[in-house]
Amino acid sequence: MEVTHDAGIWVAGILTLAIFSFLYKDNPFYKFAEHLLVGVSAGYYLVQYFFSAAYKKLWVPVVQQGNPILIVGGILGILMFTRLFRKTEWISRYPVAFYIAAWAGYVIPSYIQVRILQQAQATMFNPRGMGLGEIVSASVLMVGVATTLIYFYFSAEHKGPLKTISKVGITFLMIGFGATFGYNVMGRISLLIGRFQFLFTDWLGIVH
Amino acid sequence: MAFYDRMMSIDRRIIFLSVGLAVAIPIIVPLGFPVQVSEETRSFYREMAALKPGDTILLSFDYEGDVMAELNPMAVAVLRHAFSRDIKVVAITTYAGGTGIAERLLTEAAARYGKTYGIDYVFLGYNPDWSGTMLRLGESFKATYPTDQYGKSTYEIPIMQNVETYRDIALVVSISGSALSEYWAIWAGGRYGAKVISGNTAIQAILIYPYYKAGQIPGFLGGLKGAAEYEKLIDEPGMGIRGMDAQSVAHALMLAFIIVGNVGYFFSRRAQARQSK
Repeated sequence: MEVTHDAGIWVAGILTLAIFSFLYKDNPFYKFAEHLLVGVSAGYYLVQYFFSAAYKKLWVPVVQQGNPILIVGGILGILMFTRLFRKTEWISRYPVAFYIAAWAGYVIPSYIQVRILQQAQATMFNPRGMGLGEIVSASVLMVGVATTLIYFYFSAEHKGPLKTISKVGITFLMIGFGATFGYNVMGRISLLIGRFQFLFTDWLGIVH
Repeated sequence: MAFYDRMMSIDRRIIFLSVGLAVAIPIIVPLGFPVQVSEETRSFYREMAALKPGDTILLSFDYEGDVMAELNPMAVAVLRHAFSRDIKVVAITTYAGGTGIAERLLTEAAARYGKTYGIDYVFLGYNPDWSGTMLRLGESFKATYPTDQYGKSTYEIPIMQNVETYRDIALVVSISGSALSEYWAIWAGGRYGAKVISGNTAIQAILIYPYYKAGQIPGFLGGLKGAAEYEKLIDEPGMGIRGMDAQSVAHALMLAFIIVGNVGYFFSRRAQARQSK
């Protein structure tokens, strides 16, 4: 066991335990660690955003490199702050409108192409040249997509064959939710593993 | 209180303590459970292994400290795999909080393989507006990042001399704790034809399957398990493999709790049915 002499790791280790203490019940150590995290994060992000956006993307190109067109973007950005005052709030709608319009123009064609057309195409298959396993897998995928889409078809009452098909669809949805839950558990446990590895390896030196 | 009621109302602190022990003990005393490699990870590995020495990859650190337990092992493994095969790395981060993580991992991996900053790898840093960054990289890397993280002009950095657009990038690798891998597939892949593979948190991984099945993301690593599988394939055991024993024991415990809760529920329903008769 080789406990570290690094003060930073000691601070991180103690703060980790302070956060874990909430699992027993709320307490002042947890509150302190939580408030510290919020304060440090706010300071860190303020500096990062100011330096990487306002300085690097506006000040340097406009003032140091003489690229005046970026002033337009800078003004639009500043106008967003008019939301802070009730009387001038309406002005912020202009930069928001500009942003939404540009974003929609960028997004819509790419989304339709990548998220709808290509993915719909991927559910279609030609059984010629495919092995039995591949055919079964592709069929399950196709049936799953079709029945799930039918489950979300609300323009007709779900009775008769439509009811049966939509039940198959909801079964696929449930399997999907189950898989999501399983992955969720794995994700949360992984975070705990990461913290324990830090405590046992970097801080306490129990594990090498 | 009947036994089935007790089964359904276990004190949450007992559950927390049990999970804590289930994770802590296997970390201190490794059990050596085997790691089975999934097809998604094999596909990810194949894409990396298909690169030739001298090729350049774009490695995007699309995460911050909150998920580094899951994603750091992946990023480390990708860097080790790339540097061990003399593949050049252009690294960026789409999160302000990812800057420190990326710097540390790049520096450690480069020192291990004797790689030189500016020649074998470069860190361009954080650029605000991830969507604009992804799109603009398709037009010009140097215009998007006029300077690297340390303020040096990208026009003067040797590795950047042959990198102008995605066409000069053999592979985009997104290590992501959010939906950004999907956006790399949409912007860099869909619009500019770049090949995108990804490493994702377990929670995010489930959303990558449609892209994987459609070939839009031809390989991905899902959570800590994906990292462990990839470490196994490149024969570089790291934090991923070390965490898998704890992962397996904790999952078994969770399963046990779910079964106990459901058995309790089953018996309580039966008791209620008897009482109503």
